[in-house]
Amino acid sequence: MKSSLVRQALVLAALAFVPTLVQAIYFGDKVSWRSPVPASEMVTVTHVRAWGENAIWVDARPDNEFARDHVPGALPLNEDRWSELLPQFLAAWSPEKKVVVYCSSEGCNASREVAHRLRKEAQLANVFVLEGGWEEWLKEK
Amino acid sequence: MNDTSNILHFLWRIVDVIVGGIFIYAGAIKVLDPVQFANDIDNYKILPWTISVGLAFYLPWLEIFCGLALIVRRLYFGGLSILTALVAVFLAATIAAKIRGLDITCGCFGHVSQNWNFPAHLAIDLAILAALLALSFRVVSGNRLQDAV
Repeated sequence: MKSSLVRQALVLAALAFVPTLVQAIYFGDKVSWRSPVPASEMVTVTHVRAWGENAIWVDARPDNEFARDHVPGALPLNEDRWSELLPQFLAAWSPEKKVVVYCSSEGCNASREVAHRLRKEAQLANVFVLEGGWEEWLKEK
Repeated sequence: MNDTSNILHFLWRIVDVIVGGIFIYAGAIKVLDPVQFANDIDNYKILPWTISVGLAFYLPWLEIFCGLALIVRRLYFGGLSILTALVAVFLAATIAAKIRGLDITCGCFGHVSQNWNFPAHLAIDLAILAALLALSFRVVSGNRLQDAV
């Protein structure tokens, strides 16, 4: 029975590989295998500075961290109070602006999540994630 | 087979179809948005991103094939074993993430599950695990009976 179980599991595992490969090829240009955010959607502090007034900073960190300090002019937009903060952000947003989302550091995930939701739920284009987050901004300040 | 065992057999088949259907549904939702599922796996902070992407492509199809195996009763025990292992690993990862203080969305059922809280996740996963274990126990005990005859 054990050998039959292993054989069946291996057959299923192998069968699942076929559509996986097809799908991975199809989605090849839609997902980056190196980083959660495609390189084209990551920006550096220098990059954003060059955009000047065309950039809107979005702080995806929790409220208490935003209250302690943030990039001048940044708007708070975190997932804890998403539905409350999104309208405030949209009121300040305009289509020609480039949105730059940051969270605390390179390892945090909030900026990616907020950027993803802005693209998907708010249907915004030109949404970027700041490389290195708040820590990097402090270094480059 | 007498009437009672016929009814029991029918009831077990319903459980097969429900559990199989759940995994086909869960897999299909994730197949449609592998990038979101890769992000959901990445949120657990257990695996490197590259592996999360690979799993985001592979696991939904594995769920679909195993779900189908339960419904059509081909490669049945293999499918049952894989699904039990997947749910057990997922449960362990969810509990570990909670202990580490990570605020995660499981992504198990796409957007439907995004607003579920931790107890809801746990209850649903435990219910599915219990159903899978019950089905496995039935197969094992059925085989033992056949061997004994």
